[in-house]
Amino acid sequence: MRFAITMFSLLAIASVIGTVLKQNEPYNNYIIKFGQFWFDIFEKLGLYNVYQAFWFLLILVFLIISTSLCISRNTPKILKDYKNFQDRVREKSLLSFKHSYQFSLKKFSVKKTISFLKSHNYKVKHKFIEGEGDLIVAKKGDLQKFGYIFTHLAIVIISIGGLLDGNLVFKVQELIGTKQIQLVDQPLSEIPLKGRMSEDNLSYRASILLSEGDTKTAAILRAKEGYLVQEIPFSITLKNFNIKHYSTGQPKSFESELLVIDKKTRETINKTISVNKPLTYKGVTIYQAAFEDGGSQLDLLVWDLNSSQPSFKMNSEIFKNNKLTFENQNLILEFKDFRKFNILEVGQNEEKKPKPTNVGPNFLYKVRNESGQAKEYQTYQLPMLVDGKYFFMSGMRNSPQEEFKYLKIPADDNLSIEGFMVLKSLLNNPQKVQNAINKGINTSAFTTAEKKEAFRLGAENIINAFVDGGYNSLVDAMDLNIPDQSSIADKEKAIKTYINIIYLVSQELVRGYQVKNKDDIVFPIDDSPRFIQDALTAYSDSFFYGVPLYLELKEFKEIQASGLQLTKSPGQVWVYLGSILLVLGIFCMIYIQEIRLWILRKKDSDSLIVALASNRDRMDFDQYAIEFKDKIKKSLN
Amino acid sequence: MLLNIKDKFMNYLFGLILGCATIFAISKFNNFMDNYELIILIGSAITFTWMGNVWPNFRKLFLYTFSLSFISIYFYKGSLEEIELNFFLKYFLSSQSAIMWMTALYPLSLLTYWIYLFSKQDFYGNLATKITWIATMMGFVGLLVRWYESYLVGIDIGHIPVSNLYEVFVLFCLITSLLYLHYEEKLEIKKMGAFVLIIITAAVVFILWYTFEKGADEIQPLVPALQSYWMKIHVPANFIGYGAFAMAAMISVAYLLKDKGIMGSYLPELNILDEMTYKAISIGFIFFTIATILGAVWAAEAWGGYWSWDPKETWALIVWLNYAAWLHLRLIKGLRGTVLAWWSLVGLAVTTFAFLGVNLFLSGLHSYGEL
Ligand code: HEM
Repeated sequence: MRFAITMFSLLAIASVIGTVLKQNEPYNNYIIKFGQFWFDIFEKLGLYNVYQAFWFLLILVFLIISTSLCISRNTPKILKDYKNFQDRVREKSLLSFKHSYQFSLKKFSVKKTISFLKSHNYKVKHKFIEGEGDLIVAKKGDLQKFGYIFTHLAIVIISIGGLLDGNLVFKVQELIGTKQIQLVDQPLSEIPLKGRMSEDNLSYRASILLSEGDTKTAAILRAKEGYLVQEIPFSITLKNFNIKHYSTGQPKSFESELLVIDKKTRETINKTISVNKPLTYKGVTIYQAAFEDGGSQLDLLVWDLNSSQPSFKMNSEIFKNNKLTFENQNLILEFKDFRKFNILEVGQNEEKKPKPTNVGPNFLYKVRNESGQAKEYQTYQLPMLVDGKYFFMSGMRNSPQEEFKYLKIPADDNLSIEGFMVLKSLLNNPQKVQNAINKGINTSAFTTAEKKEAFRLGAENIINAFVDGGYNSLVDAMDLNIPDQSSIADKEKAIKTYINIIYLVSQELVRGYQVKNKDDIVFPIDDSPRFIQDALTAYSDSFFYGVPLYLELKEFKEIQASGLQLTKSPGQVWVYLGSILLVLGIFCMIYIQEIRLWILRKKDSDSLIVALASNRDRMDFDQYAIEFKDKIKKSLN
Repeated sequence: MLLNIKDKFMNYLFGLILGCATIFAISKFNNFMDNYELIILIGSAITFTWMGNVWPNFRKLFLYTFSLSFISIYFYKGSLEEIELNFFLKYFLSSQSAIMWMTALYPLSLLTYWIYLFSKQDFYGNLATKITWIATMMGFVGLLVRWYESYLVGIDIGHIPVSNLYEVFVLFCLITSLLYLHYEEKLEIKKMGAFVLIIITAAVVFILWYTFEKGADEIQPLVPALQSYWMKIHVPANFIGYGAFAMAAMISVAYLLKDKGIMGSYLPELNILDEMTYKAISIGFIFFTIATILGAVWAAEAWGGYWSWDPKETWALIVWLNYAAWLHLRLIKGLRGTVLAWWSLVGLAVTTFAFLGVNLFLSGLHSYGEL
């Protein structure tokens, strides 16, 4: 008993560790968290996969043994008790019971007493004892004791079922060296026998990732840092993967249309599985477990944010890398993910509360430079509503631990990014900028030629500074133009003037463009001040965007992949059986009261001794004993 | 004798009403239910009939709750806009208002129980019990109407309101108070309301915070993993367990106070408190066992394995082991008194962690109720 309790406490502590320390993470995460020294120690202790650790399984085995021993020790006693009526008690011991009553009774009939007790579900035995008199022994609630057998047997059955479904077979094979965890990614066909678990592996939980249209004939077993191949008795083809959505945009169901073909009999099964609706075939259950992109195709337009270069087309696929020479740098674009639906909490307009809304497709990619460093980008295809205006959003971050910082490019009247791109090209065209400035000066109130020339020079400086570095570089330009001893108020005033000049020049550029391209007016007509301001802010922010490379998603063809889990679990039926037994057992133990009762009619006397006892001291029983004694008295009289 | 006949009559009548309602529901909504849901419906009708028969007050609660819910549904006229337009919905019977009434009445009944405890006047005791009943009724109305409301949000969004932390907290209050009301009647321990209502009031405070800070009362569609008939049984069974454990812990508090001689003259005898703790824990244990097993069966369908050592599962095991140990000590070693009282308090801490802490601090497969 003490041993079992120790085991149970160990089990509890181990379980707690397993929940507090995140299990089955990449080992690198643990090294970062604990440092090499502790990482090694924890690894040896198996703390990263507690529930598969050798010592954990050992605890389970000990539990089974100790509980079995306990059952085998107690069961004979219980069975004996079950038959035994304890009819050797004598008057004196009966009188010493806590519930012992004596009252006089004129007439006494053994038969009537027995039938009375039987009608109250007692099992009864009558015995005449020489020199004493009639002894009637009764008992009920035997099931309580059987509850002990049920619960403890249940524990054994459940544990055995659990062990059957553990990876004990592999553990042993790993120990004797016939199997080995594979650490490097390889095509399935090249993985050696040592890294393959055969079809008749007793139990497993393996996974398969299938792109639409793909077929696979084996699954992957994750193990510690690596994996093993799990052979399966059939092939699986993913014909189609489907996500259904609620009207609010949240996912409602994930469904995989599968074609399963038996390797031996060639029997085929077509079935659509979804979460909570798996398919079981040949003892293997196939679950919908996850989904991801399966290599969607993207048609992109590449923009240089800081020059007047025209855009060009590029095609790619998720999981593909594109090489690109951009502003004299050799870059690698690594496409990581594409998502067609994105539910974000965005405000419809200023008054309304943010609501989960589908904001359309986005894609995730990394831009790696020659020295191998990479920044990560997340770009949405469609403009998003922010404070009543539409913006194209593209996030950048330096590492996965950071949050994305978003570049917000305002959409033009056609809800296209074109308007912004035209403006940034115009700003990067010195000839056009000069014309715009001159035009401004000619319509201005400057009277003398010198003043005009001075203003022209100043304005050109400012625009150049802005074009080359955004608003931040205005501060540098200011130091050139204004004497050092000026007050802060003066400087602020100057900055305001600069910003205004940039704005006015931009406005002139836009106006000029619109005059020339009448058929194709892209700039917001009513609202161009706001558009120009937003565009200038975005232009300025683009200097913090890592590379001035903007990928505009024009078209896509989504290809999805479905993550399936394949479970073979022969212990399940035992666990369920054990569970039923456990519930029954607990019920018996807690709610059935074992009661024993003695009635002694002494020879040559009109007094009757009634004694009641229970193996558990409970208030319910005290009350029952008192009431039942009265009942006996009443009904026998 | 007359009472007896009336009681019997009421039993039959109640059974008849439930039977008719079930048959009506089946004939009308047959097309929307699969076999499991049919079984659950019929099973519920039988369970409620049985509960009504052994506990007349439950019967009353059931009838009042359903009548009010139907009145409320009638007022909705199939549109959520009625909540703002209809006076009764706005202030009493819409899901949100009914639950707000519940959150107001439980603290009130706590107060009344304490007045009763010190004044020792039956008037206050009876009043406190009545308030608790009404609070419970409003809570159930709130949940039932919420169930209906969820279908008004979207026909494919509708689901039983036991799917997120907000809803199960309401359920926790209701189940705990029902358990308590049952024992109050059976064991004549009215004064314990002063303690049990503390934990309910604590849950109410959480609900209010969760509603006003986080807007948790909004009805959200079910994620795919939760779309299962198992949810309908697993979650309520679990909360009978949690509720019973919570009640046991609060009675243990009373036990410890009495044991130390604090408020001694106001509290029931030690052995009564001890017995009640035992009763609460044993009923909790049975339901918690069943709930955990049902959880495993569900997990086998949703996650691809009956046991995945997900933090919630693991903590359920720890809770279970803890109370199994408690029962062993009491039943086998015959241990009584302060040790077990302290133990059941610790048990509440463990249970609370399993219930809330896991959602707060650990991540896992359980997908509802992240704070
Ligand atoms: C789940 C509810 C459980 C209940 C209600 C329960 C109840 C009991 C009872 C009443 C006894 C005493 C039997 C007797 O001597 O007449 C007992 C003994 C024992 N139980 Fe449990 N038990 C439960 C679970 C477990 C579990 C999970 C284990 C794990 C191994 C366990 C291990 C033992 C052991 C080792 C003994 C002592 C046997 C001996 O040496 O006499 N029990 N239990």
